Amino acid sequence: MSSHEHGLPPKSSISRWFLTTNHKDVGILYIVTALFFLVFGGVLALLFRIELWEPGAQVLSELSYNQSVSAHGLLMVFWFISPFAFGFANYVVPLQMGAEDLAFPRLNALSYWLYLFSGLLFGVSFFQGSTFAGGWTMYAPLNVPAYIPDGALGATTAVLALVMFVASVTVSSVNFLTTMYRMRAEGLRMRDLPIFSVSILLTVWMMLFAFAALLAALMILSADHIIGTKYFVYQITQSGAVTRTVGNEAASLLWAHLFWFFGHPEVYIVFFPALGVMAETFQTFAGRRLVGRKWFILSMVLVALQSFMVWMHHMFLTNINLTIKTVFMATTIGISLPFDLMMFSLIYTLIKGKVRFKTPFLFTLGSVILFIVGGITGVFLGAVVLDYQFRGTYWVVAHFHYVMVGGATALFGGLYYWYPKMTGKMYDEFLGKVNFAMYFVGFNLLYFPMFVAWETPRRVFEYEAGLTVWHQIATIGGLLLGASFLVMFYNLFVSLWRGADAGDTPWEYATSAEWAVSSPPPMDNFPGLPSYRDGSLSFLSESAVAARLRGDGTASTDGGDPTADGGVATGTALDTATETHLETEDVEHADHASIWPFAVGLGAFLTMLGLSGVQQGTIVGTEYAALLGVGGVVTFGSLVAMTREPFHAPEAALAERFPYADVEKLKLGMWVFLASDVVLFGAFIGSHAFIRVAHGWREWHNLIPAEHVTMPGLINTYLLLTSSFLVVLAMVAAKKGSRRGTVLSLVGTLALGIGFLVNKALEWQHLFHVHSEAFPQGWDLSTNVASSTFYLTTGLHGAHVAVGLVICAYMTIRAWNGAYQGDPDAIEYFGLYWHFVDIVWLFLFPLFYIL
Amino acid sequence: MFYVNKLRDICYRNDFYLSLLLTKDMAGSWLGAHIDGVLLHAGDVRAPADVFGDIYQVFLILGTLVGVVVIAYTLYNSYKYRAQDGAAPESVDRPSLGELPTSGGGGRKLFLSFSISAIIVLSLIGWTYTTLLYVENEPAQHEDRMDVDVVGHRFSWEFVYPNGHSATGTLRVPKNELVQLHLTSNDVFHNFGVPELRVKADAIPGQTTTAWFVGKETGEYAAHCYELCGSGHSYMDATVVVMERDAYREWYNTTSGGNETEAVKP
Amino acid sequence: MTRTKLYVGIYVVLFAFATVQALVEFAGFLESAYWEAFAAIMVLSAIKAVLVAAYYQHLRWEPRSVSYLVAGGLVAATALTGAAAFSIL
Repeated sequence: MSSHEHGLPPKSSISRWFLTTNHKDVGILYIVTALFFLVFGGVLALLFRIELWEPGAQVLSELSYNQSVSAHGLLMVFWFISPFAFGFANYVVPLQMGAEDLAFPRLNALSYWLYLFSGLLFGVSFFQGSTFAGGWTMYAPLNVPAYIPDGALGATTAVLALVMFVASVTVSSVNFLTTMYRMRAEGLRMRDLPIFSVSILLTVWMMLFAFAALLAALMILSADHIIGTKYFVYQITQSGAVTRTVGNEAASLLWAHLFWFFGHPEVYIVFFPALGVMAETFQTFAGRRLVGRKWFILSMVLVALQSFMVWMHHMFLTNINLTIKTVFMATTIGISLPFDLMMFSLIYTLIKGKVRFKTPFLFTLGSVILFIVGGITGVFLGAVVLDYQFRGTYWVVAHFHYVMVGGATALFGGLYYWYPKMTGKMYDEFLGKVNFAMYFVGFNLLYFPMFVAWETPRRVFEYEAGLTVWHQIATIGGLLLGASFLVMFYNLFVSLWRGADAGDTPWEYATSAEWAVSSPPPMDNFPGLPSYRDGSLSFLSESAVAARLRGDGTASTDGGDPTADGGVATGTALDTATETHLETEDVEHADHASIWPFAVGLGAFLTMLGLSGVQQGTIVGTEYAALLGVGGVVTFGSLVAMTREPFHAPEAALAERFPYADVEKLKLGMWVFLASDVVLFGAFIGSHAFIRVAHGWREWHNLIPAEHVTMPGLINTYLLLTSSFLVVLAMVAAKKGSRRGTVLSLVGTLALGIGFLVNKALEWQHLFHVHSEAFPQGWDLSTNVASSTFYLTTGLHGAHVAVGLVICAYMTIRAWNGAYQGDPDAIEYFGLYWHFVDIVWLFLFPLFYIL
Repeated sequence: MFYVNKLRDICYRNDFYLSLLLTKDMAGSWLGAHIDGVLLHAGDVRAPADVFGDIYQVFLILGTLVGVVVIAYTLYNSYKYRAQDGAAPESVDRPSLGELPTSGGGGRKLFLSFSISAIIVLSLIGWTYTTLLYVENEPAQHEDRMDVDVVGHRFSWEFVYPNGHSATGTLRVPKNELVQLHLTSNDVFHNFGVPELRVKADAIPGQTTTAWFVGKETGEYAAHCYELCGSGHSYMDATVVVMERDAYREWYNTTSGGNETEAVKP
Repeated sequence: MTRTKLYVGIYVVLFAFATVQALVEFAGFLESAYWEAFAAIMVLSAIKAVLVAAYYQHLRWEPRSVSYLVAGGLVAATALTGAAAFSIL
């Protein structure tokens, strides 16, 4: 173990990959794992393409067909495309912006393990009877147990896998945003970020908010499965007869709103990194700067903002009113226009270029062409009268595959583009071109006939006999497309050994910083502290940084020269010594190996699997109870261990931090997380409001027993407000250095928080067992839609309180031992969370107790 | 040549130009005007199938044209500016490693092409919006329309006629009658669509949606479910039978509030 | 310490507002003038929330960009709720 590996075993060792927190390692893990899920989802697609060789169910049974269609969609959209792009983001973005790593390296590893284990969890669902079979859009109420045959175990697991995936995405979003705002090289303003990094930045912004809405939808859906709430079902019907009336008129529409509020930004979340790769490679392989770069970026910003106001174009055939249809038609068309500009910008970048048709460029050029087709066919869908007829047909299937797989095409270009950087080896160019040819022909053979056969309804195996030939061409195209990946994998695998050395910069005219370092880059990325202060990239030596910090503007920027300061040069190589010094406050090298992110992921996996065995409030087997228990212990234990593990990720002494220069990185991370939590709670409260509007706002109280009174809510408001106040006092006391004051305030917070939960428990207990004329069976989670929204929304809040109390208890113990005195940051950050929980209650109280 | 003629046909129809110019209310009333007066049936109504057919043609032709031009231009540029061995030294300023990203030139061209594309897209959508208003508002103009309730069941379609007669699997309607469907579902989310008649709407439990059509030719039309609804989704079909008006009346008089199931045609 | 006094003052206001919200219901305003009472109660909640965010979470003293960040989430959630509810009116 050499010291410049941050305490990590070498890459040839298996244990390295379980311990690593380095962004480049994590990037490679993401890429390899995403390719695994590509194969997984691709094999499923080939299965049903073979099934579609002729009309009728010959190869797969009806439900197997539905399962493979649904799992294919979910795997490709969630577990392949975005994580694949984030493999590059992990690897490349810190390099492009001049950072040594992400802001929170262990959280980055955690994101990865949550991602991997969520995918494995999804895989497990196939073995629990059957996996989710209701399509990747998961429309309600086909997504609730009442309409899932033979028990919903596998479906529940699939939903929980998605919950876990979203957790991974949220952690990742927080990490990337904090990194990109706090850790840019000196002189690199936000607008100066290389275009791929810009695309990732905007993607992450969309992810932060869109996935929070999806999380709300998925948590509610999990609750419908596990504890039996009734959000997503109107009435339960068995063999034609209604067996249970829930009276939730909004059920199906609520899912559609929540899902598409996420789902449409998701299209851009998937596509933006591809756009970034396109622009990056067009510049490099044309040897031209991006035409209208400012407008290109502005277009992306507009799309990112507007993506949250177009979702109802997926619902044109529901009973939404004409006014809202008009609004969403306008926003939808509006959002297509910036893409026109971006495509023209790419095309004009070629002019006066020195275009070299290397494999990466072939893929991205192909991608542009596919996207043009996808874009034009999308305009058809923007015309509402046409959309009415395209709804649910292969037109939609063909269109979004041209867009999304078209985007993935650029990402494959990105794989070839950065492969030499990641491995230090060159892939085989001839095989790369063969790969592209097979891919491009296969792609068009697969998806273009779907436009011709567009009258085929989606997700059916029965279709008009006259369309058979088109479906057969598509199947052949699918097989060819699949085969092209064998060439790709062979090429990339064999080149690891046989490939020529790539050198630092295999691509002429590449500009961004990842090409200015060796291939693969050293552990700490740069031979000095990157700076753009002089208008182009240079690496500052230790002494230059020190001089700069002293305000001495004349410091040399020659880089790579470890002088002055006389720090402990532990390494042998020159660059090793340099980087050791560059971590200004941290002369000794921090250990960046941690097993706990992996352990947390494993624990979460076991917990979720155990949870899937709870159906409508009853646990179906002891093995699930055991899993739940073990998983809970592993998760909690690893989280505590991770908190106690010493881990230091220092920030560079000089960095561009606009506009968050005065917000410490942990604080910024907390605020970013809270912003996503705002959307989570917003979506829960919004769901409640939507259901209530659909039911009739004032008639709502008929669903609530008279025993549900204001008092417990008011008492809890008092308790929570007081506890919030005490956290403030704790912070003030810690600042003043009063250990007694800190401990007392924290104990008070703890006591009031517990009081809040106890009061709530008593209230719920009472309501569960009311015995009135209107509610002879009590008022529990599944009584009606009002009880469901009440218990689930306040329950989510209660869970936030409980999590806060665990942290508070931990901090109380530490404060007792003398921590935080004169250094109240930790208490302050905990306070941010606790006050947020308080604020949420300030709205829950009137909505659920008064109005 | 066929398409060119077809395009000319469509363009020469008055409503193409007029609907581009007219405001939404004017367009609605104008489009409705030609069916005013004494009407025994709705055979002259511009049915959704006609609307779809026209718009789809125009989109297809323009879309193909734009696609071919843009893709050809892209390929042309990438070929024309390919790197050539032994090319003469050039004066072009190429990007270099480590520079801060800046824009290449060519902004005017960019905005020109962007504006053209924006104009094409916006006028197309503006035009189709007037037809949307027409499609949405037309049934209200026909008090003599026929209203049928459609209920989705896993995995069949139930049709309830104005007299309470309920039939599963087959919907019978008279020729040249404006038929307004009111759709809902008894269990999960379905979508009822008859491709040839260009009628389609979601069938959502707890909600009611509407859609309409005019059967102008007698015959049998296949209906499908367009939203995944479970194991039988692929088989969830129905038949819409458009009958001569007399034959229909005769048949309708034999029905009452009872139920009837007709086998779905394979 | 003046800051502490400020915190105490805000605590008192929050406590009072919560009480007023409950009193609006106890006084029967929800029966007589539902939507007016509804508006009053929600406005009180909003004021409370702003007070907690501005002072207890000291957004007032942070760079404005932090407030924009949170506002982004708030706008997204409001757009979802508002447009969804409007779509079925």
